[in-house]
Amino acid sequence: MNQIKKCHTDEVGKRSYTNFAHLNGEHPFKKLVPGGRVEYKARYRKGGKVAFFNFDLAKEMGLIAKTHPHTLTPDLEKEILETFSLTIINEYDVINKVKFPEEDIFPNTFMATRYLQLQHPDKMGRTSGDGRTIWNGTVRHNGTTWDVSSCGTGGTKLSPACNINKKFYQTGDPSISYGCGLSEVAEGLETLFFSEVLGKNGFKTERVLAILEFDKGIGINVRANPNLIRPSHFFGHLKQGNLETLKQVSDYYISRQSENKAWEQTSFKSDKEKYFYMANQVARALAETAAKFEDEYIFCWLDWDGDNILMDGGIIDYGSIRQFGLFHAEYRYDDVQRFSTTILEQRQKARYMVQCFVQIADFLSTKKKRSLSHFKNHPIMQSFDKHFVDCKNRNLLQKIGFKKNHVEHLLKNHISKVTKFRKVFSYFERAKSKRGAYKVPDGINRDALFCMRDILRELPQLYLARNTNLSCQEFTEIIKSSYARKSDLKLTNLRKKQINRFQSQYFSLIATLEKDLDLSKGQQLLELTMRASVINKYDRVTGDSITYIVQKVQKLRPKLACHELFELSQQFTVYQNLNPDQKVVAHQAPERHKNIMQNFHSIVRECREGL
Amino acid sequence: MNLVLYSGGDEKENQDLDRAFIELLAKKNPVVTFIPSSSYLSEQEFKSFVRHYSKFKITRFIHFPIDVPFDNIIFNEVMRSDAIHLAGGNTFYFLNSLRKTKLLPQLKAFAQKGGLLTGLSAGAIMMTENIEMAGYPEFDRDENIVNIKNLAALNLVDFLFFPHFRNSSRYDVVFKKYTRTSNKIIYACPDGAGIVVRGNEIRFVGKCYAFSGGHKFIIN
Repeated sequence: MNQIKKCHTDEVGKRSYTNFAHLNGEHPFKKLVPGGRVEYKARYRKGGKVAFFNFDLAKEMGLIAKTHPHTLTPDLEKEILETFSLTIINEYDVINKVKFPEEDIFPNTFMATRYLQLQHPDKMGRTSGDGRTIWNGTVRHNGTTWDVSSCGTGGTKLSPACNINKKFYQTGDPSISYGCGLSEVAEGLETLFFSEVLGKNGFKTERVLAILEFDKGIGINVRANPNLIRPSHFFGHLKQGNLETLKQVSDYYISRQSENKAWEQTSFKSDKEKYFYMANQVARALAETAAKFEDEYIFCWLDWDGDNILMDGGIIDYGSIRQFGLFHAEYRYDDVQRFSTTILEQRQKARYMVQCFVQIADFLSTKKKRSLSHFKNHPIMQSFDKHFVDCKNRNLLQKIGFKKNHVEHLLKNHISKVTKFRKVFSYFERAKSKRGAYKVPDGINRDALFCMRDILRELPQLYLARNTNLSCQEFTEIIKSSYARKSDLKLTNLRKKQINRFQSQYFSLIATLEKDLDLSKGQQLLELTMRASVINKYDRVTGDSITYIVQKVQKLRPKLACHELFELSQQFTVYQNLNPDQKVVAHQAPERHKNIMQNFHSIVRECREGL
Repeated sequence: MNLVLYSGGDEKENQDLDRAFIELLAKKNPVVTFIPSSSYLSEQEFKSFVRHYSKFKITRFIHFPIDVPFDNIIFNEVMRSDAIHLAGGNTFYFLNSLRKTKLLPQLKAFAQKGGLLTGLSAGAIMMTENIEMAGYPEFDRDENIVNIKNLAALNLVDFLFFPHFRNSSRYDVVFKKYTRTSNKIIYACPDGAGIVVRGNEIRFVGKCYAFSGGHKFIIN
């Protein structure tokens, strides 16, 4: 296997696929943070096919030309396979002197990074990190440097299995599952469908660049993001008190943020200023993310190890990601040894991570590691709390359907009205079934009763048509979910009061804008009707629906070409785009795709209130 | 009965039909319901619909997709509205949804009680006896993606309606052939043209064509 690229062309005579050549294992982190990674030699893995390629993302990253057709040409397929179809030569291979043909071995090494993971017995990050992932390298295009990594490229010594069982495993060893170093095509597809939808709806997230397929559903899933560093990349070194490596990771991370112009401030008078600026940025990002997760019912299993999330609050590792249809605030995932956090506990976990970053900033500035509790009331923590509440208020006004300038007006001038409405909104959103907690296939849950999207979608058009408030019975009829039983829906005096409060406070926001900005009530209600119908559309994707859609895609896949899968993922994303300001253009899809999409719609509809 | 059957086309092309619609509506501050043929991206269609009819000073609209479950509160409001518009799209899918939700008799009653019913393309075909025209001719038809066999529709008029008609021999041949064996009359309307039904009166807007007994006639 020769890594010196031939120049495959994607536009005859104009441009070649040369940017793939940067994804050869070389990565600045290797040199800048030597204590933060493990290096592996790798060999070309035969028998792979390209199951999916994200043409749009590849264009954004400069890997293919803007004018490249959405077709997997033989040259492009070859380039993708030559770049990403690889397996590391791990400790098992070295100890057992497994022989591989010299020509199959890549000239460069590939790194697996070290980070803290709670499932490792060590709990200090000395043994944990990328267990089945290597970093392919970076590409720079249009002022942005992208990290690219691949999952399913072989078992590293940083996997939980290696450390729990105290032995090295051969890649693909059937005696263990997660620790065998392989990945499945289905995992890549779940990430693909979920991340494209969430990405379009304003979530920061990793994205799938390509999915390679091998026998028996095994795959390599290639992902990309402008910065794939997670809080857990810092926390291991923090726990160990390893100032040198912690400083290296921090400096590396800050320099990438500056390089990508991701932060407003790029030069600093002192180290102290630099590291506290970083802590502040993390506080803002995680407050925004925790609020958005709560408001969009995203379960991400945030925990003290800082895994499952990127430094900017972006989502990584879709294995445990779910979007609930309702506010199932007591759902816990059962991970055999432990139960996960709940949606509501994510805020505290995010807060804990921010506190760790204040501790890091202080440690790096003073070279003394003070206890975490020392920073409990640091101004950055207060700023996190404030920003979290601000984001919750903003998110709610946006969900109602108010335009950006109206949202800002209400936040700036009438925060008490917004807060009051949020309080009554939460009363309904957080109402739980009398049935109590019970076992669900992968954990426990206590059902939410009400579908807030339904009431926000229907309320403005009903007011518009009738010009009167809804009766308590009508309100309940609209807002009730399929989980609600008769006894859950009893109209108690408190419930009646809250229904009236909900409507009067909703109207008070409209009346305020009418008075302040001279916008008629009718005009506003019509605008809210149109916007809320998009934001709160009946069919919204859930974790369950993604699972079923991927099962469907898996069944269809033998007959689905790479470009068809790309087209389907794009069409699905358009259908799930809940941005009322975006001009949506429906794809002209072939008849066969229309049938598949109809099927997807039915699945989303069916699962819309679930987990 | 008050009906407006639109073929298709843009705002400018449909000016005359829109004028007829407003005349028939004849109410201050009316409520108009928009029923899309499918909920898929219907919010965008609804937006365009609102933007268009807001120009006629209509300010109260209801978006009522029927292939997703709905509650009685919104349904009752729809039935109380002054006009209901049936949008374009896949006619077979639309009919299937209308039948599943048992809306066909309700819409028929709405029109018979004097409510103004308008339809564009698939929505206009829906007002006729059946939606056969959606699968005809072979070279210009909707796919029966839901495999429905019963094509009976609202049956509010005694003619068949063919939207997006192009005046060409290709269409002439098939429609002449069709009407040779059928006692139905087909009104074929190019985009921008259409039919207005007011009580027992029928008025053609724009250049329309009729096919009957194997012959073609030009109306207007």
